[in-house]
Parts: sequence; structure tokens; C-alpha cells
Amino acid sequence: MSILAASIMIGLAALGAAIGNSNLFAKYIEGIARQPEARGTLFGQTMILFGLIEALPIIGVAFGILLLFKVIGV
Amino acid sequence: MELTPQVTVAGLKFDLTIILGTIIAAAIVFGLIYFATRKVSMVPRGLQVGLEMLIDMIRGITGMTYDHKRAEKYLAFSFTLFLFVLVANQLGVILMITGEVHDPIPWLGITEETLKEHNGAAHVALLKSPTADLGFAFTMAISVALFANFIGIKNGLGSWLKPFVNPLHWIEEVSKPATHAMRLWANIFAGEVLITILMTKFPLYVTFVPVAVWIAFSLFVGMIQAYIFTVLANVYIGQKYAGGH
Repeated sequence: MSILAASIMIGLAALGAAIGNSNLFAKYIEGIARQPEARGTLFGQTMILFGLIEALPIIGVAFGILLLFKVIGV
Repeated sequence: MELTPQVTVAGLKFDLTIILGTIIAAAIVFGLIYFATRKVSMVPRGLQVGLEMLIDMIRGITGMTYDHKRAEKYLAFSFTLFLFVLVANQLGVILMITGEVHDPIPWLGITEETLKEHNGAAHVALLKSPTADLGFAFTMAISVALFANFIGIKNGLGSWLKPFVNPLHWIEEVSKPATHAMRLWANIFAGEVLITILMTKFPLYVTFVPVAVWIAFSLFVGMIQAYIFTVLANVYIGQKYAGGH
């Protein structure tokens, strides 16, 4: 049961992160295409936002791992 | 996931790997800064160049959060926080040391029962990232939250209390340190556990490429998360200066 729960958690977290990251990087590339000289600042900002987006899915993954190893139990 | 040596003092469990990791990370940061600033010259050379670039980067964080005078005041705090979290994050990726225990050591929290659960040979971590522990990350995040609220009260009790009329503000005040801590912990923890699983459960020729890729990604994530931890700490403190807006 906990294996199933962990799989669903990690899978859904990956789905959300994929949607968020695709939006972010699509806009980043669009930004470079419009204004190539802004690449440096845009890259820094994009990486910060990438870290912010990645945080919630990775929290899901971490709790999934804890479930898998039965540190927190059902 | 491996065990950790734990000492119980008066009912409280102390994880020795975290204490050791914290001391080592602090020593590395101290040593790095000490030796980089032994011979400070007007024309920077060697380590001093890197250090000045780093300080300029941190100045960018504080500069976008506070006005000029406060930005200089919080520069040292932000710089220390960033460097400490950065070194602590990379410690587990670069210097992770794990041993195998066959006999019970009761005073380190390794008893007969835990050995039986692991079929007689338990993997015990001797050194890992202190930030991969939930308690450690929460300690740092709650310290930042307490300091931010202290600044808010010092800036005027009325303006600090005023946003608490809105019930959403209560939720925000709790969720800010919680997400601040879990963001850091989850990234480092997931990275370390995946490296351990890949290295212990499969033969080396299968996992050589995935481990190399994941270690590179872990180093990158550790850097990004140290930066974000510093940015968020500054943002949370800066919000209290603005009077809850």
C-alpha cells in the first residue's frame, strides 16, 4: 500500500513539475529570442524560479522515499 | 537509507553525523575565508577574485530586498548564510562516508533489533550533509522567522500586529518557515538517498553513468538551493521592514 502511495506521489509531483518547468523555459527561450542581449539576467532569474518550482515536487519525492523505506508508516 | 549513530542525553536524541557535519562545514567556511583574505591587495589575485565575485553576487540579493543602508548591514549575514548552506549541501555529495556494522553498539543507538531488521549488517553513515536532516533545516528556517518577527516588533508593535487581523496572515506566518525548511531539506535528502540507492543496490558497471549524472545534478541543485535559501531569508526579513505589505 505504501509503495502504491509513494508511486502516485512521485508520479503526480513529476507531472506538476514538468508542466511548470515547460512554461518557465518556454518563456525563457521566448525572452532570449526577442532580446538576445538580456540572456545573462534572464538566465539567473530563470534558475531561481526553476529552484522555486522544483521545491514542491521534490518535497513530494522526499516524503515518497520516507514512505518507501517505512520511516513514516501507514 | 542508512542508520545514523545517535546519542541519547536526557531523553533527547542527538545525531552525531549532523554535529560532525555542522562543525566540518563551519570549519571549511572559516578556513576558506581566512586563507583567502590573508593578503588582501587592491588588485585582487587568486582566491580573492572569486571571493569578491561571490560578495558582489550576495550584494545583488540584498540590494534587491532592502534600501542601500540596510543592504550593507545584511551583507555579512547573507554571505555567511549562503556559504554555510552551500558547503553543508555539498558535503554529503562529495564526502559521504558510510560504514558497515555487524555488532550492536547500544550507546550509539544500534541495538540487536535494528541489526536484525537489516539482516545482521547495518549501513551506518559517518558523515553526510547536515542539511539533509529535517530538524536541522527547520532550526535554520525558524531562526530566520523569529529574527524577521523580532525586526517587525522592533520596527513598531502596531504595524507588526496589524496584518494579523487577516486570518490568511496566520497561515502565511506558519507556512513560510515550513516551506523554507522543507525546500532545502527535500532537495538535499532526495539527492543523497538516490545516490545511496544507486550505489548500494546495483553493480557499479550498471550505475556508473547515472551516478555521475546525478552527482553533477546534485552539485547544481545544492548551489541553487543555497542561493534560494539566502534569497528567501532576505525576502522574509525585508517584508517585515515594509510593515506587512
